Amino acid sequence: MAGSMKDIKLRIKSVQSTMQITKAMELVASSKLRRAKERVEHSRPYFETLYQTLCEIAASNTEFQSRYLKKRPVQRSCYVVIAGDRGLAGGYNTNLFKMMAAETQGKDYCVLPIGKKAVEYFERAGVPIVSKAFAVAADCSVSSCFALSCLLTEQYLAGEFDEIKVGFTQFVSMLTQTAMVLPVLPFKAPAQKPAGFRDLILYEPNSEEVFDAIVPEYLAGMVYGAMCESVASELGARRTAMDSATKNAGDMIDSLNLYYNRARQAAITQEITEIVAGAGAGS
Amino acid sequence: METFSLKIVTPDGCIYDGQAERLFCRTIDGDVGILPRHSDYCTALGMGDAHVIMDGKAHHAACIGGMLSVMAGKVTLVATTWEWAEEIDRARAEASLARATTALKQTDADKRELDLAEARLKRALVRTSVAPKP
Repeated sequence: MAGSMKDIKLRIKSVQSTMQITKAMELVASSKLRRAKERVEHSRPYFETLYQTLCEIAASNTEFQSRYLKKRPVQRSCYVVIAGDRGLAGGYNTNLFKMMAAETQGKDYCVLPIGKKAVEYFERAGVPIVSKAFAVAADCSVSSCFALSCLLTEQYLAGEFDEIKVGFTQFVSMLTQTAMVLPVLPFKAPAQKPAGFRDLILYEPNSEEVFDAIVPEYLAGMVYGAMCESVASELGARRTAMDSATKNAGDMIDSLNLYYNRARQAAITQEITEIVAGAGAGS
Repeated sequence: METFSLKIVTPDGCIYDGQAERLFCRTIDGDVGILPRHSDYCTALGMGDAHVIMDGKAHHAACIGGMLSVMAGKVTLVATTWEWAEEIDRARAEASLARATTALKQTDADKRELDLAEARLKRALVRTSVAPKP
């Protein structure tokens, strides 16, 4: 009996130290999440302005055919997949990969993974990888997004692939994060034409060149925005996962304490019985 | 002096939102100056010195990439990077300039590395030209 008491005590101790770790991870994730959300909000106006301008140009000029606007028959797609660097974030990475598997089924495609988990996953799946230069999601800054965008647009124009899509996790709320795929290139302008007559806008040198110069920026902005969202989602998922882990550890400690007390009581009862029996035998 | 509303945004957030008297920047097609009551206009930005005149004083900045649009008298400058001259770390820019120059001298480097070094050199040149003289 004394042995089992010791076992339980050890178990409680180990669960307690795990709980401390999960609690700390939760706190770290919450404080980082606040910063990540701010970053998402900061990057939004930049991206929205670019998108609006591109839409305006595409909608107002029916005569030009930009290289980025033209649809080609899709033979090969390129996916930019943004996942996390680390695990322990609930279903964050798995949900994204599951969604990607469903999306890419039966397609000829290559990927540009961002995040160590994404690199590992696609390497194991044997998917051709465009570049591993952006493997660490935490190190990706605005400038690396621009390098990535230059690389992609160059290969897109060279005909290496016929469409570019971004797979990332959208931050819906603290509790919900949805994995999704967004098409980026060829650029698809909203179909409806603005009602009434439009103001004439002067494009310099001309609308086509402006459009072509802005597209790489748009792609970089899009990837950066998606990355900010993904980072926020990862932290959100980790926070929720760690929160429930901490709760489970608490429940476990409670039930282990109960067992411990029972074992202790049983040991005392047994000792008393032995003493009483011993005294009875002696008299 | 007549002013117009100017908004400068980068991926890191809104840099400036307020009134300005004049704006000069380098586009892919050369330098332009924007004055109040400009007609609707849109262009893509190159890399170079940009300056905004506010309250009669010129504020210089290193502006790299992006676009400039004037819509109904409102000017929006969407830049990839926008650094005010006083915020530029001169020592760092010069170090980057030196590194890019040595990288370009290496003949065995492949095209990709050369392109990267060239882009870095251009950025460093813009920064050093804008940064205040020590």
